[in-house]
Amino acid sequence: MKNLLQLRQKNLGPLFHPKSVAIIGTNRVKGTVPHDILESILKAEFNGIVYAVSPREKSIKGIKAYKYVIDVPDDIDLAILVFPSSVCHMALEQCGQKGIKSVIIISAGFREVGEAGLEKEKQLIDIARKYDMSLIGPNCLGVINTDPETNLNASFAREMPERGSIAFLSQSGALCTAVLDYARAKHIGFSKFISFGNKADISEIDLLYYLMDDDETKVILMYLEEVSDGVGLMKAAQEVIEKSGKPILIIKSGRTNEGASAAASHTGSLTGKDEICDAAFKQAGIIRCDHIEEMFNKAIAFAYQPPPESQKVAIITNAGGPGVLTTDAAISSGLKLAKFSEETTQILKKALPATANINNPVDVIGDARSDRYVTAIKAAFDDPDVAGVFVILTPQSMTDIDTIATDIASIAEGETKPIYTSFMGEKDVASGIDLLQKHKIPHYSLPESMCTSYAAVYHFHKHLQPKVHRLAALENIEGELARKLMDKVHSNGRSYIPEVETIELMQTYGLPVPSGKLATTPDEAVNIAEEIGYPVVLKVVSNDIIHKSEAKGVELNLGSAKEVKDAWERIHSNVKLAMPDAFIAGLYVIRMITGSEEIILGIKRDPSFGPVVMFGLGGIFVEIFRDVSFGVAPLSREEALHMIEQTRAFKILKGTRGRNPRDLDSIVDAIMRLGQLAVDFPEIDELDINPLFVLDEGKGSIIGDARMILTKTV
Amino acid sequence: MEKTEILTRVKEVVSSVLKVDSSEITDDSNFIFDLGADSMQSIELVAGFEEEFDIEMDQDKALEIQTIDDAVNFISEYV
Repeated sequence: MKNLLQLRQKNLGPLFHPKSVAIIGTNRVKGTVPHDILESILKAEFNGIVYAVSPREKSIKGIKAYKYVIDVPDDIDLAILVFPSSVCHMALEQCGQKGIKSVIIISAGFREVGEAGLEKEKQLIDIARKYDMSLIGPNCLGVINTDPETNLNASFAREMPERGSIAFLSQSGALCTAVLDYARAKHIGFSKFISFGNKADISEIDLLYYLMDDDETKVILMYLEEVSDGVGLMKAAQEVIEKSGKPILIIKSGRTNEGASAAASHTGSLTGKDEICDAAFKQAGIIRCDHIEEMFNKAIAFAYQPPPESQKVAIITNAGGPGVLTTDAAISSGLKLAKFSEETTQILKKALPATANINNPVDVIGDARSDRYVTAIKAAFDDPDVAGVFVILTPQSMTDIDTIATDIASIAEGETKPIYTSFMGEKDVASGIDLLQKHKIPHYSLPESMCTSYAAVYHFHKHLQPKVHRLAALENIEGELARKLMDKVHSNGRSYIPEVETIELMQTYGLPVPSGKLATTPDEAVNIAEEIGYPVVLKVVSNDIIHKSEAKGVELNLGSAKEVKDAWERIHSNVKLAMPDAFIAGLYVIRMITGSEEIILGIKRDPSFGPVVMFGLGGIFVEIFRDVSFGVAPLSREEALHMIEQTRAFKILKGTRGRNPRDLDSIVDAIMRLGQLAVDFPEIDELDINPLFVLDEGKGSIIGDARMILTKTV
Repeated sequence: MEKTEILTRVKEVVSSVLKVDSSEITDDSNFIFDLGADSMQSIELVAGFEEEFDIEMDQDKALEIQTIDDAVNFISEYV
């Protein structure tokens, strides 16, 4: 039986490989979208039949025009709608009647213009569902497929791009034309070029699944303005990467919109959506890029060259300064300089002048012509320690730039190690760069971009294999009891749930709760303290008090019955002064923890990615250094550990400068359990553990304080 | 004015502005989808109706008119 994914993929076939196309609403007016789309299709020499549908024209550009699409006597695979938005639904209805299964709606004037447009878009979706049609757009530039079997330029881009192995998907149509122009100048080719606009039906997720099996595509690039289904996107990306090994690079704009939904707590205030998006992309294996140049710098590294086996590179330059700069950039990007073998050193010594530097970075000296570069590159490729070669060139009067470029291209052909280049300068090196780009040799204006691109390819392939993380079954979870506790909490309609009840719930999920009890009298507090052992902490318990410390409702390090009783009085009088109307249910008596590291853990619910777990070092670190990390729940053991490893806190927790190593395993376990709790209880909007006391290695950790906020309705 | 008279005169205006044979125009013809009007011609149609019936129409509402029927009903409120 075919699953939904297969059905969806089947539907996208005619969209990219149609045998016949109808442009509905086209006209004779040059310079208008309805006209130019038809012209693009004809100019690209589409390998199928083209039908023009125009209410008034009998023919356009020598092609017979039909008044309505239903008048076309033959079957049509793909319809391209270019009518104004007011009548798109009529055209789409006719497409449905005609049995057309794939439609691109170029027209704007839908969801992007407000409520009235949204209604029109819903109307389109209804019609598409009624006739089981796949629909790209509306409000898009169109679709390009450079496969010579098809040659489809169903867009109003100025030119059909070169054929290549990069697929580019974009939510923004205007950006597409800019990208096409940028790519054309650098001879970057595309397999598919898809502007999906308002994604009324086909989304980036559907397209990812389609491209997973597209033989023409090796690298997937995407520009996104909104992540409407973050969980779906992560799942699709993970599946595409795991099954096809194709890297996915995404620019997600709107980085600075963080903090808009900041909640009233520590955890919440740090939980900007963009940080979560960053974390989620990383977790899914997506490479997030900040701008178009970075994206294409990395894309050509993936598309043009074999992946490197290691971080060890050879740098070959004709100038000392740029060699040093490249070395710095390489080391800063986490790369290493390869150590040449004796054989390589001898080859270089023989071939290069005495003044040349035969160690890595190799300096072939400013007067080098192509022969020196060729010898050095070949020797580097043959060296077993070298995984990739960087060629740097500066234009001296005697540098035969074009010959060097051509020779690099021929050496690289069939080579199993990657070669990247940086011809530094602008005008003099232009023709050499053009030659490199034509021959698909990655070129970078700056050594820094070259090094970060190499590192991106290396890390992607290195992590490709162990990317498949399985979720471990967590033991000691009392699901039924947890449900009962949550129902009880919910029954009285509160959203803020204080420490005692939050801890009760967390205990059912095997989280490390402290020894302690609620006391309603001073004597009871003393009895509890003696039972759990001194020193203890007393904390006010009240539904009305969120910040206990601010209300002076916490007393630490109480070592005797007298100190407990005195603290009891102080807390009551402090709280009465700070918040006279607060109802005090009692004081929570817990064991005082010393000699630990304080961290914070939290749950946050993101509108795109769902439940998210946060980790960070406690105290001032969390606020000042924003040293926090996020992970989309549920989390595997590896993912939870990675959350810790990517913070600066990791070094502290591992033990440094005389500090004991702390119990990392207990944090990993707590992260996984919190993630599971967040998944199982969608009503938890926020949950903070602040602090979690992490004891020395092997001794576990203990929750110091916790609270949660529930959504009113589930 | 009778609606039948409005209808006849509306069709004449549409035929003249869009250069469409009047035999192709039906009561429910959509100016864009059936008769191929572009955005400039939509404005010319409104101007044509105003001149034909010697009326001044609310421009925003007038541009929302999509069919011959719509136009007849809209104009009948003015004459």
